Amino acid sequence: MPQYQNLFTAVQATGPTQSGVPIENGEHERALKPFFLHLLGRIGNAQIGPIYLGSLGLASLILGTLAFNIIGFNMLASVNWNPIEFVRQLFWLALEPPAPVYGLSFPPMNEGGWWLLTGLFLTASLFFWWARMYRRAKALGLGMHIPWAFAAALWLYLVLGFFRPILMGSWSEAVPFGIFPHLDWTAAFSLRYGNLFYNPFHALSIVFLYGSVLLFAMHGATILAVTRYGGEREIEQIVDRGTASERAALFWRWTMGFNATMESIHRWAWWFAVLCPITGGIGILLTGTVVDNWYLWAVKHGVAPPYPVVFPVVVDPATVMGVKP
Amino acid sequence: MAMLSFEKKYRIRGGTLVSGDLLDFWIGPFYVGFFGVTTLFFSFVGTALILWGASQGPTWNLWQISIAPPDLSYGLRFAPLMEGGLWQLITICAIGAFGSWAMREVEICRKLGMGYHVPAAFSMAIFAYVTLEVIRPVLLGAWGHGFPYGIFSHLDWVSNVGYQYLHFHYNPAHMIAVSFFFATTFALSLHGGLVLSATNPGRGQVVKTPEHEDTFFRDTIGYSVGTLGIHRVGLFLALAAVWFSALCIVISGPFWSRGWPEWWGWWLNMPIWH
Amino acid sequence: MNQALFFKGLALASVILLSACERPPMDSVQRGYRGTGMVQVYNPRTIEQNEELHAAPMVMPPASPDGPKAGKTYQNVKVLGDLSVAQFTQLMVNMTSWVAPNEGCVYCHNPANFAEEGKYTKVVARRMIEMTQHINSGWKNHVAETGVTCYTCHRGQPVPAQIWFKEPPQANGADFIGGRAGQNLAAKSVGLSSLPSDPFTPFLLDSLDIRVNGTTALPTGNRHSIKQAEWTYGLMTHMSSALGVNCTYCHNSRSFSSWEGNPPQRVTAWHGIRMARELNLNYLEPLTATFPSHRKGELGDVAKLNCATCHQGAYKPLNGAPMIKNHPELVGKPAPAQVASAKP
Repeated sequence: MPQYQNLFTAVQATGPTQSGVPIENGEHERALKPFFLHLLGRIGNAQIGPIYLGSLGLASLILGTLAFNIIGFNMLASVNWNPIEFVRQLFWLALEPPAPVYGLSFPPMNEGGWWLLTGLFLTASLFFWWARMYRRAKALGLGMHIPWAFAAALWLYLVLGFFRPILMGSWSEAVPFGIFPHLDWTAAFSLRYGNLFYNPFHALSIVFLYGSVLLFAMHGATILAVTRYGGEREIEQIVDRGTASERAALFWRWTMGFNATMESIHRWAWWFAVLCPITGGIGILLTGTVVDNWYLWAVKHGVAPPYPVVFPVVVDPATVMGVKP
Repeated sequence: MAMLSFEKKYRIRGGTLVSGDLLDFWIGPFYVGFFGVTTLFFSFVGTALILWGASQGPTWNLWQISIAPPDLSYGLRFAPLMEGGLWQLITICAIGAFGSWAMREVEICRKLGMGYHVPAAFSMAIFAYVTLEVIRPVLLGAWGHGFPYGIFSHLDWVSNVGYQYLHFHYNPAHMIAVSFFFATTFALSLHGGLVLSATNPGRGQVVKTPEHEDTFFRDTIGYSVGTLGIHRVGLFLALAAVWFSALCIVISGPFWSRGWPEWWGWWLNMPIWH
Repeated sequence: MNQALFFKGLALASVILLSACERPPMDSVQRGYRGTGMVQVYNPRTIEQNEELHAAPMVMPPASPDGPKAGKTYQNVKVLGDLSVAQFTQLMVNMTSWVAPNEGCVYCHNPANFAEEGKYTKVVARRMIEMTQHINSGWKNHVAETGVTCYTCHRGQPVPAQIWFKEPPQANGADFIGGRAGQNLAAKSVGLSSLPSDPFTPFLLDSLDIRVNGTTALPTGNRHSIKQAEWTYGLMTHMSSALGVNCTYCHNSRSFSSWEGNPPQRVTAWHGIRMARELNLNYLEPLTATFPSHRKGELGDVAKLNCATCHQGAYKPLNGAPMIKNHPELVGKPAPAQVASAKP
């Protein structure tokens, strides 16, 4: 007889929609009459809406849409305004940053000017969104943990598109807006700077990336395994530990010898997730500025593994001719 | 001693799959069980083999130690110990240890009256490991296709296998997997942040309620998945990341021999574009 | 029920993904130390399909060097005068089958007067003979004793299948928007990636830097950009497709710039790049005025060669079949000291 695993909600109780915790001076901004989506209700809450439409959010959306449209129109123009080619080659299209020759100056519009403008609008949009997250948390009397997590992500974004290009003296070092082109940038970045796998901050960032996936699998699975005891009611369980938290903790204690609590697991989670972009941003910032070739850096610090020689010795032909490479 | 304040009442007999009461006990905080013994065995042997392999190698530098798989020429046969056989034995021990760990988790779940979600999720990770070190090498006809056991040497393997396909970022399953990795990390930061913001609301504030949590996300993005939903979503995102990772590597080689950018030719050449 | 649906959806997605793929079994060749991942993966079915393309042409028994010389017997013989008439005639017959089997002798010659210079093809062919002789004598560091003949590039076609022209400037809807800096379109030349689509002009015609890495861990003045790395990546992608090999054929990707412990093929490739440059500059570009416009690119430039022109997807052209063993007349006199720039 198969057991119910609580992966999908079998029976949905419906009732009136929830209008949200009251906030001072802000109720009028809540727009969109809430409604239910039954399919969504099989996974989580079925209610969509209301949404708070304040000036910060509006500014963010306008600037973000502007940035999105500039990117889109540049992509469309790059295929000579052909809408079929636009769809066909969408993943390949991009809005490209300026060429190295322009340094940090404002380039012609068609040679990186649009990219720079887009970057400005997108950054402003993200900052307004951050401010929105901050205000909404404040209005509800919540802690600032989400805004600060968002700040970690913004750190990485700014390193990639702003701080590092400035330190390198060239907007051309920044990332293009485009699906495959930004992947080309990623590969080329590693190629140019001597293999990013040997960048210790890159390695740390990956540790936190994989660690976050590990932690969410562990935490998600653990809570689902104790939902029969009300485990998903985490706030309640934190202030008044029940059998769900106890069993969850003991599972891990018996498995690996130590455990978290219902509250502290969320601290593990927050730090792992947040340290991924923080260390990643540091790693990017150090590349090209402090270290020019990560493999050679690793060799210098005795970290690169040796391999037995398999091929006959080759010599760089450029040096044979007597010319420095 | 090693017990939490509430732990004693949970330490009951039962829940074992194999060997009944014989191994149904704890050492310190660790539950043993039959699979605890097998875990210890495989872990001990595997680690000892790694250490022995390192002693036969050129270095004790932690970052440089590497145990390499056999040459491709050995195919799917057992290679001599110092020519990759050691790697094969260590891989067997790893699979034994991981499998034992999962089964031990099952026994612990049964004892605690919990669902099997954790060992099920862990099995997805074990599947990814087995895909890398067993399934893909078998499909390619040689154990030598597995990755070496070494901190930086395994990264050299990743780099070179990636460049076997010229530009691995274009692998569609890899793109999906990476997206799931970043989405999981993003969702984890939100979930951790949300719970902490409700229970640590700052000076002068009282602890908040799930209604506050829901309201925050409804206010900001118009939807809140809820306390149960986020754990389903988080588990799904994490498992999807691992599933597509396993998929992306198993198709590289056995199911595609050219550069990954070239795979996209089917889309670019569809007749509907004319 | 939902779970079943979910897994069915997953299976469907996976099947769709796989239908655009190839199928096992694959052949794999290890290069480099075990466990480094330096491996070539070949699809035997693809190899089989391409067998004909890489088959070496039939070889005739060598003609006798005895008898009067072609230069004394025929008019207007500028390059092959030292051959005997028999050797000369046989080479002409070979060239016809290598380059213009359907068109025949009249592709280059006036049948009423074989010595006449009227057709551009004759002028080009003479220069191509000189080029072939130069490759086989002056570029042994790339072609070794295997060498090339007309067939290596032409494969029975008047125009080789793999040639390149310069790219016309981007067709823009407007001048102020949509500039893509020579990249960001799906381009066959770079294996359908969005890398810069003409890596040939800067590297196989001009001598721009291919190397972008520094030689020290800390910055000591290497000012190459990420964009330059993308251009080099584009060239390397072309080289991989042209030779039917992946990056690990020449490199250990943990450090692309290091030469230590690298396969010897990398040195051969290094010379190949210089050879392509020199041939494009000294033999093909000077023929711009000779070719008619229907043989030139959109910008009026002459067709040029890259790695694919000879290799056409094989690690060695025609899988390494020896070409000049039976055609000593296509090996020139030893060249003076290498003219090619040693610039990396």
